[in-house]
Amino acid sequence: MTKALLGCVLAVMLASLVPVAAHHSPAAFDRTKEVTLVGTVKEFRWQNPHTWIEVNVPDGKGKVVLWGVELTSPTYLVRAGWKSNIIKPGDKVTVIVNPVRTGEPAGIFRKLILADGRELTERPARLGTPDSK
Amino acid sequence: MSLSRIAVAIVTAASMAVSACNSTTPAEAPGVTPAGNAPADSTAEPSEPGRQLSALAPENIAKARPPAPFDLTGNWFIDVTGNPNAWKFGPPYPKLTAAAQVHFDASQVALKEGKVYRDDIGQCWPAGLPLIMTRYWPMAMIQIPTSIYMVSGFMNSLRIVYLDGRPHTDLDVIVRTFNGESIGRWDGDTLVVDTIGFRADHHWMDQGGASIPAGEQLHIVERIRLINDKKQLEIEYTMTDPEYWEGEWKSTKRFNRVNDEDIQEVSCLPDLNEHLQSTTSKTQVR
Repeated sequence: MTKALLGCVLAVMLASLVPVAAHHSPAAFDRTKEVTLVGTVKEFRWQNPHTWIEVNVPDGKGKVVLWGVELTSPTYLVRAGWKSNIIKPGDKVTVIVNPVRTGEPAGIFRKLILADGRELTERPARLGTPDSK
Repeated sequence: MSLSRIAVAIVTAASMAVSACNSTTPAEAPGVTPAGNAPADSTAEPSEPGRQLSALAPENIAKARPPAPFDLTGNWFIDVTGNPNAWKFGPPYPKLTAAAQVHFDASQVALKEGKVYRDDIGQCWPAGLPLIMTRYWPMAMIQIPTSIYMVSGFMNSLRIVYLDGRPHTDLDVIVRTFNGESIGRWDGDTLVVDTIGFRADHHWMDQGGASIPAGEQLHIVERIRLINDKKQLEIEYTMTDPEYWEGEWKSTKRFNRVNDEDIQEVSCLPDLNEHLQSTTSKTQVR
């Protein structure tokens, strides 16, 4: 239990250090919280500077809430195995996000789980090394 | 001008420069005509006497100059090895004036509340110098004898560093911009770039948590070198702006080559933030 808790704490700490290739400040997102969205894709936009996913998520009370999920640019998503047609409107998906701190239905992407069980994440937004050839 | 048109212009000028440099004299270079012997072209606007030649004018590119100590041509990405926040220019910060302190304090309060104070970059305003150099996107640089054209992978922001000996534009005439007007000169193995002429509204020295404005008096001097066997670019920044801080604000940044990725067309289009709810949420403090 202690190990599991320590793992969670470390994961949160690491997540807070992962840089985001965002045009906006990431400070609005609560990196210590994760929200799991189970719903249906409304739109998947593959574009610069950000890719986004809009997901219709039933709230369990008879209503459907539209969540906006912000991802990095295709430059980094391609390097993590993504393609522009990996999801489409109507697909059933599970998306894990760090939500904005105000409780509004918006978050920054952590993980996508497709209907067939495949999991996709981002990769750190970083190019080049000190000894790039 | 679109990125593709800029690229075409640069490639055309660069190819003419190479042709000129391969010739015995500039006058013999194909496509290059000596001053005062311009070919007849009824459709061309005649050059006005006394005007600064364009950095892309073949006649300017072909002028005799000492060879440049290095060539920055390449894609460069801020080195964040071991420090994801290496893109920031502080802390430490200089002693702020009261005019800046009010914004800095407001940004600190917002940060503690999980909010973001005046994130104008997130609202699609240009990052501007110095932040444009250290976004998490490559900066493409193309160097020719008269200039260095820099195009950021972030919003394709254009920055031109003139190397052709021109002075700064009169401040009464200059069109103020977020990247300013940059004039470079060689100092041994170092390129010294002097930049003024900044636009002061919606222009910040940091993003998200340390909001210090950039004013019209902002003056940035960059000492640029290639280090580590030319694999890394190092820029020492010395920045002054008496409206917003006291003395010199210094910071040194290193950049790594990106040889397996080119920059792409990137625009902050009207529908972007409509779909990035965080940019319009209650987290944004204006």
